[in-house]
Amino acid sequence: MTFTTFGAIMGFAAEMVGQAEEIYGILSQEAEEPELKEILTTLLEEGRRNRPLMERMRRENVTEMILEPITELPWEDYKIHHSVQGRMGDADILKLALALEERERKFFQDASSKLSLPEVASRLRKMVRKKEENLARLERLGMRPSFKGIFVD
Amino acid sequence: MERVRNFINGEWVESSSKECGDVWCPATGEKIGEVPFSTADDINKAVQAAKNAYWEWRCTPPLSRARYFFRLKNLFEDSFEDIARTLVTEEGKTLDESRGEVRRMIENVEHATGVTTMMTGYNLEDIAQGIDCTAERQPIGVFGVIAPFNFPAMVPWWFLPYAVVTGNTYIVKPSEQVPLTQTRIFEVIDECGFPEGVINMVHGARDAVNGLLYHPEIKGISFVGQSTTARYVYKACGETGKRVQALGGAKNFVLVMPDAELDRHMPSLITSFYGCAGERCLSGSVLVAVGDVYKELKERFVAAAKGLKVGNGLQEGIQMGPVVSEKHKEKVLGYIEKGIKEGAKLILDGRNIKVDGHPNGFYIGPTVFDEVNPEMTIAKEEIFGPVVSIVHVKNLDEGLKLMENSEYGNAACLYTTNGKTAREFKFRAVASMMGINLGIAAPMSFFPFGGSKGSFFGDIKGHGKEVFQFFTDTKVVIQRWT
Repeated sequence: MTFTTFGAIMGFAAEMVGQAEEIYGILSQEAEEPELKEILTTLLEEGRRNRPLMERMRRENVTEMILEPITELPWEDYKIHHSVQGRMGDADILKLALALEERERKFFQDASSKLSLPEVASRLRKMVRKKEENLARLERLGMRPSFKGIFVD
Repeated sequence: MERVRNFINGEWVESSSKECGDVWCPATGEKIGEVPFSTADDINKAVQAAKNAYWEWRCTPPLSRARYFFRLKNLFEDSFEDIARTLVTEEGKTLDESRGEVRRMIENVEHATGVTTMMTGYNLEDIAQGIDCTAERQPIGVFGVIAPFNFPAMVPWWFLPYAVVTGNTYIVKPSEQVPLTQTRIFEVIDECGFPEGVINMVHGARDAVNGLLYHPEIKGISFVGQSTTARYVYKACGETGKRVQALGGAKNFVLVMPDAELDRHMPSLITSFYGCAGERCLSGSVLVAVGDVYKELKERFVAAAKGLKVGNGLQEGIQMGPVVSEKHKEKVLGYIEKGIKEGAKLILDGRNIKVDGHPNGFYIGPTVFDEVNPEMTIAKEEIFGPVVSIVHVKNLDEGLKLMENSEYGNAACLYTTNGKTAREFKFRAVASMMGINLGIAAPMSFFPFGGSKGSFFGDIKGHGKEVFQFFTDTKVVIQRWT
């Protein structure tokens, strides 16, 4: 299965951001380490802003003249195999946040190269940069002694 | 099951007619609604309401009129997805195509809100000693639109916002095949709170059309549909002294030069021919391979067409939906039969396509004819379906000649990397909407939409700057106070 239309790409983007927002809502309550809690709250807020943004981009940028078939963007590449199951420790929360941010980064990057709409592609590239910042921040946190070992596997 | 009602004088009312038609979901082949075939009496009521509302609306300052449209735009944004899905359900196109259509509808609302600059006149002092002259634009009265099935949301809005924002009042007659979308749109209009009678809608077929065309109180008609009906509308409006813009059918040629970038442009070529299942007046119909691009173009085009995902447009990711009705499907299949009979070579056959879960839908798969002779029916007549005729010509001159011989002059496209060729094509081609390196030459709301030759009857086309003239009269005032 591949994404074949602009609407499918943007619909998935909104869904993906919404799913992450939901998870961050739970994780930000569960995290104990203050900085992790703060980062998760920031990511939750970011998701709240980004979901309507994805929906608006789909609504406002759907230009008939350049609605062209899209190829080679497989769904499988953006599946996430993690979910919130019971109470999680800070290390597992951090791992899940890293996976969610990496999925969004990869999807936005790949999708931006497939869309023939420069305005949308540019916005998605901006989101890639934001995701890279988030990932760097989460990784820095993961290097602390209290999270020692989370990057082993 | 929904039986749609008319919207007259700010109220939802039943038609006085007992006769009605069925509304179908093309993707499933199921009946989803009924539409009344309104009578001349229903039209009279709408015209009377529009006439009664006219003077007060005409005296409302243009900026105040525009504010209704600012509000309407926001309400449309809120209902965007709902309107788009209703459209897919009754017309069959894909969700993205439908969203694109609703977007273009809204763009016309946005453009119309510029009335305070677009409606201005001009003046000159001292045209003679101490005498000044002013040309002012004034609204005229009641206008109406007779809309086609293929763009149920957008087409009435090529005209309505401009007519109403300039101070006229209005009646919409949607296509009887797709009445649900405008009904949904009129629910939003109702919510927006326009004064009663300013915007009205009457459903129906032939009687409603004639009721509009021959009503003495209607000052002008906008029409979009088949050329034979466009000609009929044009004549009727001539007889009754109405302003008219009648947009007809098309047979669009897409020329591909040997230097075209096929890799880059194949998706847009596919969209040109198969977007909206070929049911748009801008669709490519004849693929003209110029010189030695023929073999490669044919192979790559057929391969890409085979890859299109055909199905129920409501499923995200579907790239081509069904055609609008069983009757229309039969008509398109008839053209395919005719193509075979007249000797064209069917190299991709979409007649027996099966769509999972929808055995009764009105589907036709991407179809390609090769070795098409310009004299064949499929090369000359409007098919309005996903059927492509490949014609091989030696050079640009021969391609342009094909277009000159066509009775239509709506759109034409060229793919090339050569600026001189592009310039020559643009300069000489007899069509009014031209695409260079794109397959759908769709003017946006701020440019005029309409063709030439048998594709358009009238003077002023849809939307663009000029449409403000269609809906206003120029009053010249010459004054001496010295």
